[in-house]
Amino acid sequence: MKRIISTTESLCPVCLKKIGAIIWSENNESYMEKSCLEHGRFKALLWRGSMPMEEWVRHKVPATINKPNTEVAQGCPYDCGLCADHRQHTCTALIEVTQRCNLNCSFCFADANRNNQTDLTLDTIRSMYASVMETSGNCNIQLSGGEPTLRDDLPQIIELGHQLGFPFIQINTNGIRMGEDEAFVKQLKAAGLNSVFLQFDGINDEIYKKLRGKPLVATKIKAIKNCQRYNIGVVLVPTLVSGVNDDELGNIINFGLDWVPTVKGVHIQPASYFGRIPNLPVEEKRLTLGDIMDRIEDQTAGRIRKKSFAPPGCENARCSFHGNYMLQENNELMSVNNPANCCGKEQAEAGANKTKAHVSRKWCGHDLTAEKKQNVSHEDKEKDQWDKILERINRYSFSLSAMAFQDVWNLDLNRVKDCCIHVVNPKGQLIPFCMYNLTDKNGYSLYRKQ
Amino acid sequence: MKHESYDQTKWLCDKCQRELELAKVKVRYMEGNFEVDLMKCPTCNQVFIDEALALGKMKEVEEGLEDK
Repeated sequence: MKRIISTTESLCPVCLKKIGAIIWSENNESYMEKSCLEHGRFKALLWRGSMPMEEWVRHKVPATINKPNTEVAQGCPYDCGLCADHRQHTCTALIEVTQRCNLNCSFCFADANRNNQTDLTLDTIRSMYASVMETSGNCNIQLSGGEPTLRDDLPQIIELGHQLGFPFIQINTNGIRMGEDEAFVKQLKAAGLNSVFLQFDGINDEIYKKLRGKPLVATKIKAIKNCQRYNIGVVLVPTLVSGVNDDELGNIINFGLDWVPTVKGVHIQPASYFGRIPNLPVEEKRLTLGDIMDRIEDQTAGRIRKKSFAPPGCENARCSFHGNYMLQENNELMSVNNPANCCGKEQAEAGANKTKAHVSRKWCGHDLTAEKKQNVSHEDKEKDQWDKILERINRYSFSLSAMAFQDVWNLDLNRVKDCCIHVVNPKGQLIPFCMYNLTDKNGYSLYRKQ
Repeated sequence: MKHESYDQTKWLCDKCQRELELAKVKVRYMEGNFEVDLMKCPTCNQVFIDEALALGKMKEVEEGLEDK
């Protein structure tokens, strides 16, 4: 029997008009259904798996945007900037420093290489950083694209961000230049690069040929080795596509664990249908967070249990899951999730602050502590042991997370209002990631390229 | 209370009147188990954690294990 879980608002995939939607569950699946007077009915899979969607909750008291950049005029999602109706602060601000790319992937939310936009000038980037600081205060920065490493002045862009007060700067990269150009990696480190979000779809070249157009496993390994050399933290980021690499999760996680402490975690992004896509979605083939949690437990032979995953304290619960672990000296993986987070109502703002601190602490490279002293007093001996535990926690922690981006088919505007990952446009406005990348059935964009 | 590294203050267990000794103690926080040397009464096993440790390294470890 179908159970109606909630009602919400969404958009028509054809005309992008706001329309009502219902969310219902049956057995282990949850769907969104909506209808546009002009363009008919649409049904999209939201969730599937042994963990029921209704139980994946984390209640938050909404945050208030202190300095909204835009007026509320037409209502969500047409006034992004952020507007006063938005309910969460920026945890990560993305700046797309170039639209150029050295790959031509079948899935590309940025639809890179398809427009003739020139690279942002350093002055524009400076004003974008300043706008983030004014609207959202200190948050984590991700420099993205296109492929950001195609810019020779990327080190200056990183330095600029640090100068303007952002302590954690990450790049989102395919790793090609990181693997081929060690001198460039050295420059990035010297500029203060903290972390690399490395596109990493598997350990099998057939996957890269399908998704990226060429074999890339050896290049990815070279990139990780260069990051290891210069002590830059790496997060492996697979785009997960049904029938291509959804059986590769266990291999990716095990590979990541073999590269701890350089690799800090795996962040899985199931394919969403916006930007450049090879086909319109076949709903039954969508991978949902519930599917991914089940598959991780299966494919790691229970080394990672789905009960170790928690809903996020920052964004909407249905947007992601995460688990935190520590690789012990005996190579066993210890789950370090906090069970206290499962109940009660938390402040969204506190969740954003905790997430910012957590990401910057766990995803960056850590320099080794100084050599131990000789002839220590008992208090020094105590401190040394705690330092050793701290070093283990900081250097050998491993995070596993997945984020389900929303496309025009499964869009729930309640989730948009809770979004904390914001793309900065050249005007300095902050657009929730999924809204910035959202395209209609024919590829028309709501925000990008405006 | 002194916390400098040269501090060699001796502590006495008031109940047992025994001097505390440095001994291996198992500590547990959330899912994490660690073994560390702490000052302990050899008779009743009561462990003494001084303020500097509780608010310093120990707190850092707790925060490191806490989730976002």
